[in-house]
Amino acid sequence: MEKTLISAVHFVENAAKKFGDKTAFEDAENSISFNELRLGARSVASGLMKSVKTGCEHPIIVLMPKTVGAIECFMGIMYAGSPYAPVNYDAPAARIAKITENLKPSAIITDKAGADKLSDTPLDVKIFLFDELVKTPRDDDGIDRVLRNVCDLDPAYIMHTSGSTGVPKGVTVSHRGVIDYIEWIVDTFPVTEKSVIGMQSAFHFDNSVFDMFAALYTGAKTYLIPEALFMYPDKLTEFLADEKISVIFWVPTVMINVANSGALEKTPLPDLELILFAGEVMPNTQLNIWRKHLPRCMYVNMYGPTESTDIATYYIVDRDYENHEVLPIGIPCANMKALILNDENKMCETGEQGELCIGGSGIALGYWNAPDLSAKVFVQNPLNPYYNERIYRTGDLVYKNEEGNIIFLGRRDSQIKLRGNRIEMGDIEAAAAAVEGIKSACALFDAPKQEIVLFIETDAQINARKFKMTLQGYIPKYMVPARIVTMEHFPHTPSGKIDRTGLRKSYIEGE
Amino acid sequence: MEEIKNTLREFICKTFEIGDDPDFTDDVHLFNEGFVDSFGAVEIIHFIEQTYNVQITQKDITLYPMNTVEEIAEVVKSKL
Repeated sequence: MEKTLISAVHFVENAAKKFGDKTAFEDAENSISFNELRLGARSVASGLMKSVKTGCEHPIIVLMPKTVGAIECFMGIMYAGSPYAPVNYDAPAARIAKITENLKPSAIITDKAGADKLSDTPLDVKIFLFDELVKTPRDDDGIDRVLRNVCDLDPAYIMHTSGSTGVPKGVTVSHRGVIDYIEWIVDTFPVTEKSVIGMQSAFHFDNSVFDMFAALYTGAKTYLIPEALFMYPDKLTEFLADEKISVIFWVPTVMINVANSGALEKTPLPDLELILFAGEVMPNTQLNIWRKHLPRCMYVNMYGPTESTDIATYYIVDRDYENHEVLPIGIPCANMKALILNDENKMCETGEQGELCIGGSGIALGYWNAPDLSAKVFVQNPLNPYYNERIYRTGDLVYKNEEGNIIFLGRRDSQIKLRGNRIEMGDIEAAAAAVEGIKSACALFDAPKQEIVLFIETDAQINARKFKMTLQGYIPKYMVPARIVTMEHFPHTPSGKIDRTGLRKSYIEGE
Repeated sequence: MEEIKNTLREFICKTFEIGDDPDFTDDVHLFNEGFVDSFGAVEIIHFIEQTYNVQITQKDITLYPMNTVEEIAEVVKSKL
Protein backbone atom coordinates (compact mmCIF):
# COMPACT_ATOMS: atom_id res chain seq x y z
CA MET A 1 0.00 0.00 0.00
CA GLU A 2 1.38 3.35 -1.04
CA LYS A 3 1.64 6.14 1.45
CA THR A 4 -1.03 8.81 1.11
CA LEU A 5 0.55 11.80 -0.53
CA ILE A 6 0.92 14.87 1.64
CA SER A 7 3.82 16.58 -0.10
CA ALA A 8 4.53 16.66 -3.82
CA VAL A 9 7.96 15.32 -2.94
CA HIS A 10 6.30 12.04 -1.92
CA PHE A 11 5.96 11.47 -5.67
CA VAL A 12 9.76 11.24 -5.75
CA GLU A 13 9.91 8.92 -2.73
CA ASN A 14 7.32 6.54 -4.21
CA ALA A 15 8.86 6.64 -7.69
CA ALA A 16 12.33 5.75 -6.39
CA LYS A 17 10.87 2.70 -4.61
CA LYS A 18 8.72 1.60 -7.53
CA PHE A 19 10.79 2.44 -10.59
CA GLY A 20 14.31 2.59 -9.13
CA ASP A 21 16.98 2.69 -11.81
CA LYS A 22 14.65 3.34 -14.76
CA THR A 23 15.44 6.63 -16.53
CA ALA A 24 13.18 9.40 -15.26
CA PHE A 25 14.46 12.50 -17.05
CA GLU A 26 16.77 13.08 -19.97
CA ASP A 27 18.18 16.20 -21.62
CA ALA A 28 20.59 16.64 -24.54
CA GLU A 29 23.60 15.82 -22.35
CA ASN A 30 22.48 13.91 -19.26
CA SER A 31 19.90 11.51 -17.95
CA ILE A 32 18.86 10.66 -14.43
CA SER A 33 17.03 7.66 -12.92
CA PHE A 34 14.30 7.87 -10.29
CA ASN A 35 16.81 6.69 -7.66
CA GLU A 36 19.45 9.18 -8.71
CA LEU A 37 16.91 11.97 -8.63
CA ARG A 38 15.90 11.06 -5.07
CA LEU A 39 19.51 11.01 -3.89
CA GLY A 40 20.54 14.16 -5.77
CA ALA A 41 17.53 16.05 -4.48
CA ARG A 42 18.23 14.93 -0.92
CA SER A 43 21.79 16.23 -1.27
CA VAL A 44 20.50 19.60 -2.50
CA ALA A 45 18.09 19.70 0.48
CA SER A 46 20.88 18.88 2.91
CA GLY A 47 23.10 21.63 1.56
CA LEU A 48 20.28 24.15 1.86
CA MET A 49 19.22 23.12 5.36
CA LYS A 50 22.80 23.36 6.57
CA SER A 51 23.37 26.96 5.61
CA VAL A 52 20.16 28.93 4.97
CA LYS A 53 16.67 29.25 6.43
CA THR A 54 14.30 26.67 4.96
CA GLY A 55 10.61 25.89 5.48
CA CYS A 56 7.32 27.01 4.03
CA GLU A 57 8.01 30.70 4.65
CA HIS A 58 11.39 30.61 2.93
CA PRO A 59 11.15 30.18 -0.82
CA ILE A 60 14.22 29.42 -2.90
CA ILE A 61 14.76 30.65 -6.44
CA VAL A 62 16.06 28.32 -9.13
CA LEU A 63 17.80 30.00 -12.05
CA MET A 64 18.81 27.03 -14.16
CA PRO A 65 18.66 26.10 -17.85
CA LYS A 66 16.36 23.33 -19.07
CA THR A 67 18.41 20.44 -17.68
CA VAL A 68 17.84 17.47 -15.39
CA GLY A 69 19.87 19.33 -12.75
CA ALA A 70 17.05 21.90 -12.44
CA ILE A 71 14.67 19.09 -11.43
CA GLU A 72 17.08 17.97 -8.69
CA CYS A 73 16.92 21.57 -7.42
CA PHE A 74 13.10 21.73 -7.36
CA MET A 75 12.73 18.40 -5.60
CA GLY A 76 15.59 19.21 -3.23
CA ILE A 77 13.96 22.49 -2.22
CA MET A 78 10.71 20.65 -1.45
CA TYR A 79 12.61 18.01 0.57
CA ALA A 80 13.88 20.94 2.64
CA GLY A 81 10.26 22.05 3.19
CA SER A 82 10.56 25.23 1.11
CA PRO A 83 8.60 26.28 -1.95
CA TYR A 84 10.62 26.35 -5.16
CA ALA A 85 10.48 29.41 -7.42
CA PRO A 86 11.67 28.74 -10.98
CA VAL A 87 12.78 31.90 -12.77
CA ASN A 88 13.27 32.34 -16.53
CA TYR A 89 16.95 31.51 -17.12
CA ASP A 90 17.08 34.08 -19.93
CA ALA A 91 15.46 36.88 -17.92
CA PRO A 92 17.55 40.02 -17.54
CA ALA A 93 19.28 40.54 -14.18
CA ALA A 94 17.08 43.59 -13.47
CA ARG A 95 13.95 41.41 -13.75
CA ILE A 96 15.43 38.77 -11.46
CA ALA A 97 16.28 41.54 -8.98
CA LYS A 98 12.63 42.67 -8.97
CA ILE A 99 11.42 39.14 -8.33
CA THR A 100 14.00 38.68 -5.57
CA GLU A 101 12.97 41.92 -3.92
CA ASN A 102 9.34 40.85 -3.66
CA LEU A 103 9.94 37.17 -2.91
CA LYS A 104 12.72 37.61 -0.33
CA PRO A 105 14.04 34.10 -0.94
CA SER A 106 16.64 32.62 1.38
CA ALA A 107 18.80 31.56 -1.57
CA ILE A 108 19.18 31.35 -5.34
CA ILE A 109 20.45 28.12 -6.89
CA THR A 110 22.07 28.64 -10.29
CA ASP A 111 24.96 27.59 -12.53
CA LYS A 112 28.20 29.39 -13.39
CA ALA A 113 26.66 31.46 -16.21
CA GLY A 114 23.70 32.40 -14.04
CA ALA A 115 25.97 33.52 -11.22
CA ASP A 116 28.01 35.59 -13.68
CA LYS A 117 24.85 37.29 -14.91
CA LEU A 118 23.88 38.22 -11.35
CA SER A 119 27.38 39.31 -10.32
CA ASP A 120 26.83 43.00 -11.19
CA THR A 121 23.43 43.19 -9.54
CA PRO A 122 23.45 43.74 -5.79
CA LEU A 123 21.11 41.10 -4.34
CA ASP A 124 20.86 40.53 -0.62
CA VAL A 125 20.64 36.75 -0.94
CA LYS A 126 22.92 33.72 -0.78
CA ILE A 127 23.79 32.22 -4.16
CA PHE A 128 24.53 28.48 -4.47
CA LEU A 129 26.16 26.86 -7.46
CA PHE A 130 24.17 23.72 -8.28
CA ASP A 131 27.27 21.66 -9.14
CA GLU A 132 28.63 22.20 -5.65
CA LEU A 133 25.32 21.99 -3.78
CA VAL A 134 24.45 18.58 -5.24
CA LYS A 135 27.65 17.15 -3.77
CA THR A 136 26.59 17.87 -0.16
CA PRO A 137 26.60 14.72 2.03
CA ARG A 138 23.00 13.71 2.74
CA ASP A 139 21.31 14.46 6.05
CA ASP A 140 18.52 11.89 5.66
CA ASP A 141 17.38 12.14 9.30
CA GLY A 142 16.95 15.89 8.95
CA ILE A 143 14.99 15.50 5.73
CA ASP A 144 12.72 12.80 7.13
CA ARG A 145 11.97 15.09 10.09
CA VAL A 146 10.89 17.80 7.63
CA LEU A 147 8.71 15.33 5.71
CA ARG A 148 6.94 14.23 8.90
CA ASN A 149 5.93 17.82 9.61
CA VAL A 150 4.89 18.92 6.12
CA CYS A 151 1.26 19.91 5.62
CA ASP A 152 -0.48 19.54 2.27
CA LEU A 153 -1.58 23.17 2.35
CA ASP A 154 2.00 24.38 2.57
CA PRO A 155 3.29 26.09 -0.58
CA ALA A 156 4.99 23.76 -3.08
CA TYR A 157 6.03 26.29 -5.70
CA ILE A 158 5.81 29.95 -6.65
CA MET A 159 5.59 30.91 -10.32
CA HIS A 160 5.83 34.46 -11.54
CA THR A 161 3.47 36.01 -14.05
CA SER A 162 3.45 39.45 -15.61
CA GLY A 163 2.03 42.17 -13.32
CA SER A 164 0.27 45.30 -14.57
CA THR A 165 2.50 47.68 -12.58
CA GLY A 166 5.77 46.16 -13.79
CA VAL A 167 6.31 43.96 -10.72
CA PRO A 168 5.84 40.23 -11.46
CA LYS A 169 3.24 38.45 -9.33
CA GLY A 170 4.35 35.32 -7.43
CA VAL A 171 1.51 32.80 -7.73
CA THR A 172 1.83 30.44 -4.76
CA VAL A 173 0.52 26.89 -5.22
CA SER A 174 0.08 24.24 -2.50
CA HIS A 175 1.22 20.62 -2.40
CA ARG A 176 -2.47 19.63 -2.36
CA GLY A 177 -2.97 21.51 -5.63
CA VAL A 178 -0.11 19.65 -7.30
CA ILE A 179 -1.08 16.22 -5.93
CA ASP A 180 -4.77 16.45 -6.88
CA TYR A 181 -3.96 17.82 -10.32
CA ILE A 182 -1.45 15.10 -11.14
CA GLU A 183 -3.65 12.29 -9.81
CA TRP A 184 -6.53 13.58 -11.89
CA ILE A 185 -4.62 14.02 -15.14
CA VAL A 186 -2.89 10.65 -14.95
CA ASP A 187 -6.11 8.85 -14.02
CA THR A 188 -8.00 10.55 -16.86
CA PHE A 189 -5.55 10.26 -19.76
CA PRO A 190 -3.33 7.41 -20.93
CA VAL A 191 0.05 8.17 -19.33
CA THR A 192 1.84 5.01 -18.18
CA GLU A 193 5.25 3.63 -17.25
CA LYS A 194 5.85 3.04 -20.98
CA SER A 195 5.12 6.64 -21.98
CA VAL A 196 7.80 9.03 -23.15
CA ILE A 197 6.80 12.63 -22.46
CA GLY A 198 8.30 15.31 -24.73
CA MET A 199 8.63 18.41 -22.57
CA GLN A 200 8.21 21.72 -24.36
CA SER A 201 7.53 24.03 -21.44
CA ALA A 202 10.25 25.97 -19.69
CA PHE A 203 10.31 25.38 -15.94
CA HIS A 204 8.97 28.84 -15.11
CA PHE A 205 5.67 27.97 -16.83
CA ASP A 206 3.34 25.71 -14.94
CA ASN A 207 2.86 23.24 -17.80
CA SER A 208 6.19 21.94 -16.48
CA VAL A 209 4.32 20.64 -13.42
CA PHE A 210 2.74 18.01 -15.66
CA ASP A 211 6.00 17.12 -17.42
CA MET A 212 7.78 16.52 -14.12
CA PHE A 213 5.18 15.05 -11.79
CA ALA A 214 3.31 12.91 -14.34
CA ALA A 215 6.61 11.11 -14.98
CA LEU A 216 7.22 10.70 -11.24
CA TYR A 217 3.71 9.39 -10.63
CA THR A 218 3.59 6.89 -13.49
CA GLY A 219 7.23 5.92 -14.06
CA ALA A 220 7.20 7.46 -17.54
CA LYS A 221 10.31 9.10 -18.95
CA THR A 222 10.32 12.81 -19.68
CA TYR A 223 12.65 14.14 -22.34
CA LEU A 224 13.51 17.82 -21.82
CA ILE A 225 13.44 18.92 -25.47
CA PRO A 226 16.21 21.47 -26.16
CA GLU A 227 14.72 24.91 -26.70
CA ALA A 228 16.61 25.51 -29.95
CA LEU A 229 14.63 22.71 -31.64
CA PHE A 230 11.40 24.69 -31.37
CA MET A 231 12.73 27.14 -33.98
CA TYR A 232 12.90 24.32 -36.55
CA PRO A 233 9.55 22.50 -36.83
CA ASP A 234 10.80 19.78 -39.21
CA LYS A 235 13.78 18.98 -36.95
CA LEU A 236 11.41 18.96 -33.99
CA THR A 237 9.21 16.26 -35.53
CA GLU A 238 12.35 14.33 -36.49
CA PHE A 239 13.30 14.49 -32.81
CA LEU A 240 9.86 13.24 -31.71
CA ALA A 241 10.22 10.27 -34.06
CA ASP A 242 13.83 9.45 -33.06
CA GLU A 243 13.09 9.61 -29.34
CA LYS A 244 9.73 7.77 -29.67
CA ILE A 245 7.86 10.52 -27.84
CA SER A 246 4.31 9.35 -27.01
CA VAL A 247 2.87 12.21 -24.93
CA ILE A 248 3.16 15.96 -25.44
CA PHE A 249 1.72 18.86 -23.52
CA TRP A 250 2.54 21.96 -25.58
CA VAL A 251 1.42 25.53 -26.10
CA PRO A 252 -0.66 25.98 -29.28
CA THR A 253 1.95 28.35 -30.80
CA VAL A 254 4.36 25.45 -31.21
CA MET A 255 1.64 23.18 -32.61
CA ILE A 256 0.63 25.91 -35.06
CA ASN A 257 4.23 26.30 -36.29
CA VAL A 258 4.56 22.55 -36.77
CA ALA A 259 1.24 22.31 -38.64
CA ASN A 260 2.06 25.28 -40.91
CA SER A 261 5.56 24.04 -41.74
CA GLY A 262 4.39 20.83 -43.41
CA ALA A 263 6.61 18.83 -41.01
CA LEU A 264 3.76 16.44 -40.18
CA GLU A 265 3.64 15.31 -43.81
CA LYS A 266 7.35 14.59 -43.90
CA THR A 267 7.86 12.66 -40.68
CA PRO A 268 5.50 9.91 -39.52
CA LEU A 269 5.01 9.87 -35.73
CA PRO A 270 3.66 6.38 -34.97
CA ASP A 271 4.54 6.56 -31.26
CA LEU A 272 2.60 9.72 -30.50
CA GLU A 273 -0.64 8.92 -28.63
CA LEU A 274 -1.68 11.80 -26.42
CA ILE A 275 -1.57 15.50 -27.35
CA LEU A 276 -2.49 17.99 -24.65
CA PHE A 277 -2.39 21.72 -25.22
CA ALA A 278 -3.01 24.80 -23.10
CA GLY A 279 -1.91 28.37 -22.65
CA GLU A 280 -3.80 30.16 -25.42
CA VAL A 281 -6.50 29.60 -28.03
CA MET A 282 -5.81 26.71 -30.41
CA PRO A 283 -7.02 27.58 -33.93
CA ASN A 284 -9.14 24.92 -35.63
CA THR A 285 -7.30 25.08 -38.97
CA GLN A 286 -4.03 23.89 -37.49
CA LEU A 287 -5.66 21.45 -35.09
CA ASN A 288 -7.41 19.83 -38.06
CA ILE A 289 -4.05 19.43 -39.82
CA TRP A 290 -2.73 17.55 -36.80
CA ARG A 291 -5.87 15.42 -36.64
CA LYS A 292 -5.63 14.61 -40.34
CA HIS A 293 -2.02 13.41 -40.12
CA LEU A 294 -2.29 11.74 -36.72
CA PRO A 295 -5.89 10.50 -36.53
CA ARG A 296 -5.20 7.89 -33.82
CA CYS A 297 -4.03 10.45 -31.25
CA MET A 298 -6.17 11.78 -28.43
CA TYR A 299 -6.34 15.60 -28.47
CA VAL A 300 -7.24 17.57 -25.35
CA ASN A 301 -7.83 21.31 -25.23
CA MET A 302 -7.01 22.47 -21.71
CA TYR A 303 -7.55 25.74 -19.91
CA GLY A 304 -6.11 27.08 -16.71
CA PRO A 305 -4.46 30.19 -15.35
CA THR A 306 -1.33 29.78 -13.20
CA GLU A 307 -3.61 30.54 -10.23
CA SER A 308 -5.37 27.19 -10.67
CA THR A 309 -2.38 24.77 -10.59
CA ASP A 310 -1.88 24.56 -14.33
CA ILE A 311 -5.26 23.28 -15.46
CA ALA A 312 -8.86 23.96 -14.41
CA THR A 313 -10.96 22.71 -17.33
CA TYR A 314 -10.50 20.37 -20.30
CA TYR A 315 -12.19 19.29 -23.50
CA ILE A 316 -11.45 16.08 -25.36
CA VAL A 317 -11.63 16.93 -29.07
CA ASP A 318 -14.09 14.49 -30.62
CA ARG A 319 -14.57 15.92 -34.11
CA ASP A 320 -13.15 18.41 -36.62
CA TYR A 321 -14.12 21.97 -35.85
CA GLU A 322 -14.96 24.37 -38.68
CA ASN A 323 -13.21 27.73 -38.82
CA HIS A 324 -16.25 29.69 -37.67
CA GLU A 325 -16.72 27.47 -34.60
CA VAL A 326 -14.97 27.90 -31.27
CA LEU A 327 -13.18 24.95 -29.70
CA PRO A 328 -14.65 24.61 -26.18
CA ILE A 329 -12.49 24.65 -23.06
CA GLY A 330 -14.90 22.06 -21.74
CA ILE A 331 -15.64 21.05 -18.18
CA PRO A 332 -13.75 21.28 -14.86
CA CYS A 333 -11.20 18.67 -13.79
CA ALA A 334 -12.24 16.33 -10.97
CA ASN A 335 -10.79 18.46 -8.17
CA MET A 336 -12.00 21.78 -9.56
CA LYS A 337 -15.26 23.60 -10.15
CA ALA A 338 -16.13 26.34 -12.59
CA LEU A 339 -18.69 29.06 -11.90
CA ILE A 340 -19.76 31.58 -14.51
CA LEU A 341 -20.87 34.74 -12.70
CA ASN A 342 -22.61 37.80 -14.10
CA ASP A 343 -22.03 41.40 -12.92
CA GLU A 344 -24.40 40.82 -10.00
CA ASN A 345 -22.43 37.78 -8.85
CA LYS A 346 -25.26 35.45 -9.86
CA MET A 347 -24.78 32.25 -11.82
CA CYS A 348 -25.21 32.78 -15.57
CA GLU A 349 -27.80 30.86 -17.54
CA THR A 350 -26.73 28.63 -20.44
CA GLY A 351 -25.55 30.91 -23.25
CA GLU A 352 -25.25 33.95 -20.99
CA GLN A 353 -21.84 35.59 -20.92
CA GLY A 354 -20.03 36.06 -17.59
CA GLU A 355 -16.72 35.88 -15.77
CA LEU A 356 -15.21 32.47 -15.22
CA CYS A 357 -14.51 31.87 -11.53
CA ILE A 358 -12.71 28.77 -10.40
CA GLY A 359 -12.96 26.84 -7.16
CA GLY A 360 -11.46 23.60 -5.87
CA SER A 361 -8.29 22.24 -4.33
CA GLY A 362 -6.09 23.58 -7.10
CA ILE A 363 -6.77 27.23 -6.30
CA ALA A 364 -3.50 28.98 -5.50
CA LEU A 365 -2.84 30.12 -1.94
CA GLY A 366 -2.48 33.67 -3.26
CA TYR A 367 0.21 36.03 -4.55
CA TRP A 368 3.37 35.94 -2.48
CA ASN A 369 3.80 39.04 -0.31
CA ALA A 370 0.89 40.79 -1.98
CA PRO A 371 -2.19 40.45 0.28
CA ASP A 372 -4.06 43.37 -1.32
CA LEU A 373 -3.59 42.02 -4.81
CA SER A 374 -4.63 38.54 -3.63
CA ALA A 375 -7.76 39.85 -1.88
CA LYS A 376 -9.01 41.34 -5.14
CA VAL A 377 -9.12 38.08 -7.08
CA PHE A 378 -9.13 35.29 -4.47
CA VAL A 379 -12.52 35.86 -2.92
CA GLN A 380 -15.27 34.06 -1.00
CA ASN A 381 -17.63 32.20 -3.32
CA PRO A 382 -20.60 34.62 -3.44
CA LEU A 383 -22.98 31.69 -3.99
CA ASN A 384 -21.90 30.04 -0.73
CA PRO A 385 -22.97 31.98 2.40
CA TYR A 386 -22.41 28.95 4.68
CA TYR A 387 -18.69 28.29 5.01
CA ASN A 388 -15.30 29.55 3.79
CA GLU A 389 -14.77 28.67 0.17
CA ARG A 390 -12.30 30.60 -1.90
CA ILE A 391 -12.69 31.06 -5.61
CA TYR A 392 -10.39 32.74 -8.10
CA ARG A 393 -11.80 35.39 -10.40
CA THR A 394 -9.97 34.72 -13.67
CA GLY A 395 -10.96 37.89 -15.55
CA ASP A 396 -11.80 35.63 -18.51
CA LEU A 397 -15.17 36.04 -20.23
CA VAL A 398 -16.96 32.80 -21.08
CA TYR A 399 -20.34 31.18 -21.53
CA LYS A 400 -21.70 27.67 -21.25
CA ASN A 401 -23.15 26.07 -24.39
CA GLU A 402 -26.09 23.65 -24.72
CA GLU A 403 -23.82 20.63 -24.28
CA GLY A 404 -22.55 22.02 -20.96
CA ASN A 405 -19.13 22.95 -22.31
CA ILE A 406 -17.52 26.25 -21.47
CA ILE A 407 -16.61 28.53 -24.38
CA PHE A 408 -13.83 31.09 -23.94
CA LEU A 409 -14.51 34.57 -25.37
CA GLY A 410 -11.71 36.89 -24.21
CA ARG A 411 -10.39 39.07 -21.40
CA ARG A 412 -12.03 41.73 -19.24
CA ASP A 413 -8.80 43.76 -19.00
CA SER A 414 -5.68 44.58 -21.03
CA GLN A 415 -3.90 41.30 -20.26
CA ILE A 416 -3.03 39.40 -23.43
CA LYS A 417 -1.72 36.01 -24.45
CA LEU A 418 1.10 36.00 -26.98
CA ARG A 419 2.61 32.69 -28.08
CA GLY A 420 1.36 31.18 -24.82
CA ASN A 421 2.85 33.92 -22.66
CA ARG A 422 0.60 35.91 -20.39
CA ILE A 423 1.51 39.59 -20.65
CA GLU A 424 0.22 42.74 -18.96
CA MET A 425 0.57 45.82 -21.18
CA GLY A 426 1.39 47.85 -18.06
CA ASP A 427 4.45 45.68 -17.48
CA ILE A 428 5.89 46.70 -20.87
CA GLU A 429 4.91 50.34 -20.42
CA ALA A 430 6.67 50.49 -17.03
CA ALA A 431 9.86 49.07 -18.57
CA ALA A 432 9.78 51.49 -21.53
CA ALA A 433 9.07 54.52 -19.36
CA ALA A 434 12.14 53.66 -17.25
CA VAL A 435 14.44 54.14 -20.26
CA GLU A 436 16.25 57.49 -20.28
CA GLY A 437 14.76 60.07 -22.62
CA ILE A 438 11.33 58.42 -22.76
CA LYS A 439 8.56 60.65 -21.47
CA SER A 440 5.70 58.20 -21.69
CA ALA A 441 4.85 54.82 -23.20
CA CYS A 442 1.72 53.03 -24.35
CA ALA A 443 1.59 49.38 -25.43
CA LEU A 444 -1.23 48.01 -27.57
CA PHE A 445 -1.85 44.52 -28.90
CA ASP A 446 -2.45 44.03 -32.60
CA ALA A 447 -4.52 40.85 -32.40
CA PRO A 448 -4.78 40.04 -36.15
CA LYS A 449 -1.01 40.24 -36.54
CA GLN A 450 -0.36 38.75 -33.10
CA GLU A 451 2.16 41.41 -32.20
CA ILE A 452 2.66 44.12 -29.61
CA VAL A 453 3.01 47.72 -30.78
CA LEU A 454 4.74 50.13 -28.43
CA PHE A 455 4.19 53.88 -28.71
CA ILE A 456 6.81 56.05 -27.07
CA GLU A 457 6.72 59.75 -26.45
CA THR A 458 10.22 61.17 -26.83
CA ASP A 459 12.24 63.99 -28.37
CA ALA A 460 15.19 61.68 -29.00
CA GLN A 461 16.03 59.83 -32.21
CA ILE A 462 15.33 56.16 -31.59
CA ASN A 463 16.84 53.17 -33.41
CA ALA A 464 14.07 50.57 -33.08
CA ARG A 465 16.36 47.53 -32.88
CA LYS A 466 18.61 49.14 -30.29
CA PHE A 467 15.63 50.30 -28.27
CA LYS A 468 14.30 46.73 -28.24
CA MET A 469 17.69 45.57 -26.98
CA THR A 470 17.49 48.13 -24.18
CA LEU A 471 14.04 46.85 -23.23
CA GLN A 472 15.44 43.34 -23.10
CA GLY A 473 17.49 44.59 -20.17
CA TYR A 474 14.27 45.00 -18.17
CA ILE A 475 11.72 42.53 -19.46
CA PRO A 476 11.89 39.01 -20.92
CA LYS A 477 12.36 38.70 -24.66
CA TYR A 478 8.82 37.41 -25.29
CA MET A 479 7.44 40.71 -23.97
CA VAL A 480 9.53 42.94 -26.23
CA PRO A 481 7.22 44.69 -28.74
CA ALA A 482 7.50 43.83 -32.43
CA ARG A 483 6.90 47.42 -33.56
CA ILE A 484 8.03 50.70 -32.07
CA VAL A 485 6.29 53.95 -32.98
CA THR A 486 7.87 57.17 -31.74
CA MET A 487 6.13 60.53 -31.45
CA GLU A 488 6.93 63.86 -29.86
CA HIS A 489 3.50 64.20 -28.28
CA PHE A 490 0.88 61.58 -27.53
CA PRO A 491 -2.76 62.38 -28.39
CA HIS A 492 -4.85 62.76 -25.23
CA THR A 493 -8.51 62.28 -24.39
CA PRO A 494 -10.49 65.20 -22.92
CA SER A 495 -9.87 63.77 -19.45
CA GLY A 496 -6.11 63.97 -20.01
CA LYS A 497 -5.39 60.25 -20.45
CA ILE A 498 -3.41 58.87 -23.39
CA ASP A 499 -5.88 58.37 -26.23
CA ARG A 500 -5.38 54.64 -26.69
CA THR A 501 -8.40 54.25 -28.93
CA GLY A 502 -7.09 57.01 -31.20
CA LEU A 503 -3.63 55.45 -31.40
CA ARG A 504 -5.17 52.10 -32.19
CA LYS A 505 -7.34 53.59 -34.94
CA SER A 506 -4.53 55.56 -36.58
CA TYR A 507 -1.66 53.11 -36.34
CA ILE A 508 -3.07 49.59 -36.01
CA GLU A 509 -6.54 49.34 -37.54
CA GLY A 510 -5.99 52.12 -40.06
CA GLU A 511 -3.27 50.35 -41.99
CA MET B 1 35.53 28.56 -43.77
CA GLU B 2 35.91 32.25 -44.72
CA GLU B 3 33.98 31.57 -47.91
CA ILE B 4 31.12 29.87 -46.08
CA LYS B 5 30.93 32.79 -43.68
CA ASN B 6 30.88 35.30 -46.54
CA THR B 7 28.09 33.46 -48.31
CA LEU B 8 26.08 33.21 -45.09
CA ARG B 9 26.64 36.85 -44.19
CA GLU B 10 25.51 37.95 -47.61
CA PHE B 11 22.37 35.78 -47.49
CA ILE B 12 21.39 36.93 -43.99
CA CYS B 13 22.12 40.57 -44.77
CA LYS B 14 19.94 40.51 -47.87
CA THR B 15 17.09 38.33 -46.59
CA PHE B 16 16.63 40.14 -43.28
CA GLU B 17 17.39 43.63 -44.62
CA ILE B 18 20.20 44.37 -42.23
CA GLY B 19 22.07 46.94 -44.35
CA ASP B 20 25.45 48.10 -43.06
CA ASP B 21 24.75 47.86 -39.32
CA PRO B 22 28.17 47.72 -37.60
CA ASP B 23 26.74 45.46 -34.86
CA PHE B 24 26.16 42.68 -37.40
CA THR B 25 29.37 40.69 -36.85
CA ASP B 26 30.26 37.01 -37.20
CA ASP B 27 29.81 36.33 -33.51
CA VAL B 28 26.69 38.38 -32.79
CA HIS B 29 23.71 36.33 -31.56
CA LEU B 30 21.38 36.64 -34.57
CA PHE B 31 18.18 35.88 -32.65
CA ASN B 32 18.80 37.52 -29.28
CA GLU B 33 20.11 40.71 -30.84
CA GLY B 34 17.07 41.10 -33.05
CA PHE B 35 18.67 40.64 -36.49
CA VAL B 36 16.65 37.53 -37.35
CA ASP B 37 13.32 36.43 -35.90
CA SER B 38 12.62 32.83 -35.00
CA PHE B 39 10.92 32.13 -38.36
CA GLY B 40 14.10 33.31 -40.08
CA ALA B 41 16.03 30.47 -38.45
CA VAL B 42 14.23 27.99 -40.70
CA GLU B 43 15.13 30.04 -43.78
CA ILE B 44 18.81 30.05 -42.86
CA ILE B 45 18.89 26.27 -42.37
CA HIS B 46 16.98 25.74 -45.62
CA PHE B 47 19.47 27.98 -47.43
CA ILE B 48 22.54 26.10 -46.23
CA GLU B 49 20.98 22.70 -46.91
CA GLN B 50 20.29 23.78 -50.49
CA THR B 51 23.52 25.69 -51.14
CA TYR B 52 25.94 23.13 -49.73
CA ASN B 53 23.85 20.02 -50.33
CA VAL B 54 24.11 18.96 -46.69
CA GLN B 55 21.51 17.65 -44.24
CA ILE B 56 21.17 19.40 -40.88
CA THR B 57 19.60 16.89 -38.48
CA GLN B 58 17.77 17.29 -35.19
CA LYS B 59 20.95 16.02 -33.49
CA ASP B 60 22.98 18.93 -34.94
CA ILE B 61 20.47 21.40 -33.56
CA THR B 62 20.37 19.60 -30.22
CA LEU B 63 24.12 19.34 -29.77
CA TYR B 64 25.61 22.43 -31.40
CA PRO B 65 24.67 26.06 -30.89
CA MET B 66 23.75 27.69 -34.22
CA ASN B 67 23.07 31.27 -33.22
CA THR B 68 25.89 33.18 -34.92
CA VAL B 69 27.35 33.26 -38.43
CA GLU B 70 30.51 31.70 -36.96
CA GLU B 71 28.62 28.82 -35.29
CA ILE B 72 26.46 28.06 -38.33
CA ALA B 73 29.52 28.07 -40.63
CA GLU B 74 31.27 25.70 -38.22
CA VAL B 75 28.45 23.14 -38.51
CA VAL B 76 28.36 23.47 -42.31
CA LYS B 77 32.12 22.98 -42.52
CA SER B 78 31.98 19.80 -40.43
CA LYS B 79 29.47 18.36 -42.92
CA LEU B 80 31.43 19.02 -46.12
